Amino acid sequence: MASLEVLMLVGIGTPAGLLLVLALTSLLNRPLLEQWTGRLAAVAMTVSCAAIGSALVLYGTAASGTVLVSYGYWSTAHEGGIAIEFLLDGMSLAFATLTAAIAGIVAAFSNRYLHREPGYNRYFVLFAMFVTGMLLVALAGNVEVLFAGWELVGLSSALLVAFFHERPAPVANALRVFSVYRISDAAMLSAAVLLHHVAGSGSLSLLFGNAETSAIAGLSTANATAIALLLVVAAAGKSALLPFSGWLPRAMEGPTPSSAVYYGSLSIHAGCFLLLRAGPLLEQTTPVRVLVGAIGLATALFSTLVTRVQSDVKSSLAYASLTQVGIIVFEIALGLYTIAFLHLAGHACFRLLQFLSAPNVLHDLHGLESAAGERIGPMAARVELMIPERLRRQLYLVALERGFLDALLDRAIVEPFHRVTGLMGRLDAFLCDFVLQRAPSLLVEVADDRDE
Amino acid sequence: MSSPLPWLTALVALPALVVAASFLRVSVERLRGFALSAAAVMLLGSLAVAIDPAMRTVVLRSSMLGAVPGGEALIRIDALSSALLPFAAGLWLLTASVTPRASLDRGGLRRTALATMLTLLSFLTESAIALLVLWVASVWTFLSAIADPVHVRQRRVVAAYMGISTLLFAIGVALIVWPMAHGTPVEVAGMWLIVVAALIRKGIFPFHAWVPEVFDHGRLGPAILFSAPQLGAYVTVILIVPRASPEVLRLIAILALGTAVYGAALALVQNSARRACGYLFVSQSALIMAGLDGTSVSAMAGGLLLWVSAGIAFAGLARCVLVLEARRGRLDLSINHGGYERMPVLAISFLAMGLACTGFPGTLGFAGQELLVDGAVDAFPVLGFAVVIASALTGLAVLRMYFALFCGRRDVLADTGINLGLTRREAWTFALVVIALVGFGLAPRPIVDSRFTASEEILRQRELRTSIAGEAENAEISHPAIAEAQRRPN
Repeated sequence: MASLEVLMLVGIGTPAGLLLVLALTSLLNRPLLEQWTGRLAAVAMTVSCAAIGSALVLYGTAASGTVLVSYGYWSTAHEGGIAIEFLLDGMSLAFATLTAAIAGIVAAFSNRYLHREPGYNRYFVLFAMFVTGMLLVALAGNVEVLFAGWELVGLSSALLVAFFHERPAPVANALRVFSVYRISDAAMLSAAVLLHHVAGSGSLSLLFGNAETSAIAGLSTANATAIALLLVVAAAGKSALLPFSGWLPRAMEGPTPSSAVYYGSLSIHAGCFLLLRAGPLLEQTTPVRVLVGAIGLATALFSTLVTRVQSDVKSSLAYASLTQVGIIVFEIALGLYTIAFLHLAGHACFRLLQFLSAPNVLHDLHGLESAAGERIGPMAARVELMIPERLRRQLYLVALERGFLDALLDRAIVEPFHRVTGLMGRLDAFLCDFVLQRAPSLLVEVADDRDE
Repeated sequence: MSSPLPWLTALVALPALVVAASFLRVSVERLRGFALSAAAVMLLGSLAVAIDPAMRTVVLRSSMLGAVPGGEALIRIDALSSALLPFAAGLWLLTASVTPRASLDRGGLRRTALATMLTLLSFLTESAIALLVLWVASVWTFLSAIADPVHVRQRRVVAAYMGISTLLFAIGVALIVWPMAHGTPVEVAGMWLIVVAALIRKGIFPFHAWVPEVFDHGRLGPAILFSAPQLGAYVTVILIVPRASPEVLRLIAILALGTAVYGAALALVQNSARRACGYLFVSQSALIMAGLDGTSVSAMAGGLLLWVSAGIAFAGLARCVLVLEARRGRLDLSINHGGYERMPVLAISFLAMGLACTGFPGTLGFAGQELLVDGAVDAFPVLGFAVVIASALTGLAVLRMYFALFCGRRDVLADTGINLGLTRREAWTFALVVIALVGFGLAPRPIVDSRFTASEEILRQRELRTSIAGEAENAEISHPAIAEAQRRPN
C-alpha cells in the first residue's frame, strides 16, 4: 500500500504546496504574474486530481480494507499528543476524488472568469486553502486532522465572501458567515475533545469503523448523545441546515466560481460527509438520529419554499442546493449511506454546472424561448396553485423573509450577547475607577511624581 | 561551547550595551540600528541556548539566597527558560524594528532595551527575591514610559494596580522566604498574596480592568512590551505551581477560564482597535494561565506553548495596529478603513498573526490550543470547554478587526504615488514573524517536545516538594534539611 500512500500525499501535497507558494509570494509582496498563478494552479489541481483518482482506482483494484496512514505524533515526548493520520477507504477516496475533480474544473473556470481582476492572486491563495482543507476533511484519519481541514474551509469561505472587499455588504456578510462557522468549528472542536476524553481516541477508524467493534460502542448513552449532538451542530453550521440557513444567501457575495465550489458543490456537503462518517455513532443514539432526520426534512421543505421566491439566480440556486442537502441528511438519518453518498456526488456535479452557467442564465433562457417560440414560466407554478390561498400567502411571506432566521438568531444570540458585553464593559469601567479611588494615595503620588 | 556562563553574560550584556549607548551622543537612527543588531544577535544567541542541551547545565546559586526556602538558583537555564530566552529576544527585535520612528526616541530605545534585559534576567532566575527586584524594576520602567502629562490617568491606573500587586508580591515573598514560616499558615498566606499579585499582573478577572484602559488610552508600545513577556505567568510557574495546593491551582484555572471567555467576548464588541487589543491580551493571557494549573502535563505544555506562540503573535498583531495608527491616527472598528491594496503585507501579516493567536491550524498556536483544551477538559469536564468558546470568539474578533482595518472603500491615496505603505524593514519583520509562526506550526515537534519536557520538569518538582513536605511533616525534620532537599536535583 506504499504507492497508495504516495498518491495520497501527492494529492494533498500539491494544493498545499500551491497554497504555500502563493501565500509566501503574497506575504513577501512579490505576487506571481497572473499567467504564472494560473499555470501553477492548473498543474497543481491536475496533479492532485490524477493522484487521488489513481489512488481510488488502486484502492478499488486492490480490494483492500480500510488503510490508516499515520505520520506519528506532533510531539515525541507525549504519546497522547496530536497525531497526523489519514484514513483511506472507499468513501474517503471517492469524496477526495470528487473534490479534486471539481476543484480542477473550477480552477480552470476561475482562471478565465477572474482574468485581470485585482484580487486574482488572492482568490487563488484562498482557493488553494479551500482545496487543501476539503482534502484534509475527506481523508482525515482522526478528528484533529478533520478539524484542521474544517477550519481551513471555513476561513477561506469567509474571506472569499468578502472578496470584493471595497464594498461594505460583502464584508458585513462575510463576518456573519464566519460567525456561524465559528459556532460550527467550536462544536467540532468540542466533539473532538470529548471523543478523546471519553473514548480515549480521536482516530476515526477506531471510533466510526464498525458499529460493534468501534470505541464508541463502549460509550455511555449520555456521552454518545453529547458527541453526536455536537457533530450535528458542526454539520448544521457548515451545511447551512436549519436553524443556521440564514448565512447561505449572504455567502453569495463572493465571485461565482467560489459560490459554485463552496455553496453549490463541496463545502455545503461537508456537513453531510461528516454525518456520513459519524453514521455508526448516530445509529447508537436514536434521539439524535431522529433529530437529524427532522432537521434534514425541515431544511429541505424550508429551502424549497425559499428558493421559489428568490430574485437573483445565485440565491435561488443556493436554496435549491440546500433542498437537496436536506434530503441527503434525511437519507443519512434513515441509514441509507450509499444512496446518500451517491446523491451527494451527483448533486455536487449537477449544481456545480448550474452555478458556473449562472452568469449566462438569461442568455440561455432567451435562446430557449426563441427556440420554443413562447415565454417559459416557472415549472412548479401548478404545484403551488394546489396550496390554499391563505396558507400560500403566509408561506410566501415566510419564504420572502427567508424564514425570519436572521432575525431569530439576532434575537436569540446577538442581542443578548450585546446586552451582556455592555454590562461587562460597564463593570470594567467601574472596577477601574473603584481601584483608582480606593488605592492608597501613596501609589497615586508615586505615579504623579513620574510626571515629567 | 565549553562554558555557557560567558555566553549568557553576553546575552544579558547586549541590551545593557544599548542602554549605555543611549547615553552617548549618537543619532537616534544609529542607536536604533545598534539596538536592532543587538536584538538580532541576542535572538541568534538565545536560539543556540535553546537548541544546545549542554547550555542547560548552568546553575548559579547565591549563598545568601540559597539558605532560604524561597531562594533557589539565582541564575539557571532549564527546559522552561530555554524557549523563553529567544521569545524575549524576539519581542525586542520586533519592537525595535517596527515601532514607528515618532514613538521610539532615544528614551524609548533605552527603556525597550532595559525592559528586555529585565525580562531576560527574570527568565533566568528562580529566586523569589531576585524575581521581586526584577518585578519592581519592570513596573518602574513601564511607569517611566507613560510619564508624560497626557497619560496621567493611565499612569495612576498602572500605579494603583501594579503598586498593589507589587506590595502583595513583596509581602508574599517575605512570608515564603521567612525561615520560621515554613510549613505554617503564614507560608500559605504568603503564597496566596503572590497568587493575587500574579493575577493582577496578568490581568485575570476581576483584576483585569487596567489592561484595556492602558492599552486604549495609554502608550500601546510600552504596554505591549510590559505585558507580552507574561512575567505573571513566570512567577506562577516558578513560585506558585510548586507550592500551591491543588485547590488553589484549580481556583486560578477557573478564574483564568472565565477570564478567557470574558476577554474574548469584549474584544469582539469594541469599537477601538487598541481596546480590542487589550481585551485580546486579557483573553490570551488567561488561556496561558489556565494551562498552568498544574493538574496535567498536557495542559501545562499547552499553556507553555501558547505563552510563546500567542505572545509573539499577539505582540505582532498589536504592533500592526501601532504601525497603522502611525499612518491613520486612532483606529475605529465601527467603520471599514480600506487600504488592503496599499499595505497587503501588513494585512496578510495581521490576519496570520491574529489567527495564530486563536490557534488556527497551520500556525504554532494550533498545537498549543489543542493540548490546552485537551488538558482543560480533563481537569474540568464542563468548564474546560471555555477554551473552545474563547478561541471561537477570539477568531471572530480578529476577523472583524481585519475587515475593519483593511477592507472597505478603495484607498484614494493608493494610486497617487504617495508612499504611505510599509517600510522595507517593517515588511520584512512582519513577514518573518509570520513565517516563524507558520513554519513552527507546520513542524511543531521540536518546540512541542521542549514544552512537554519543561512541563514534566515543573510537575516533577511540584511532586517532589509535596512528597518532601509530607515526609517532613510526619518525621518533624528540621527546616534546613527540608530546604536542602527541596532544591531542584541537577
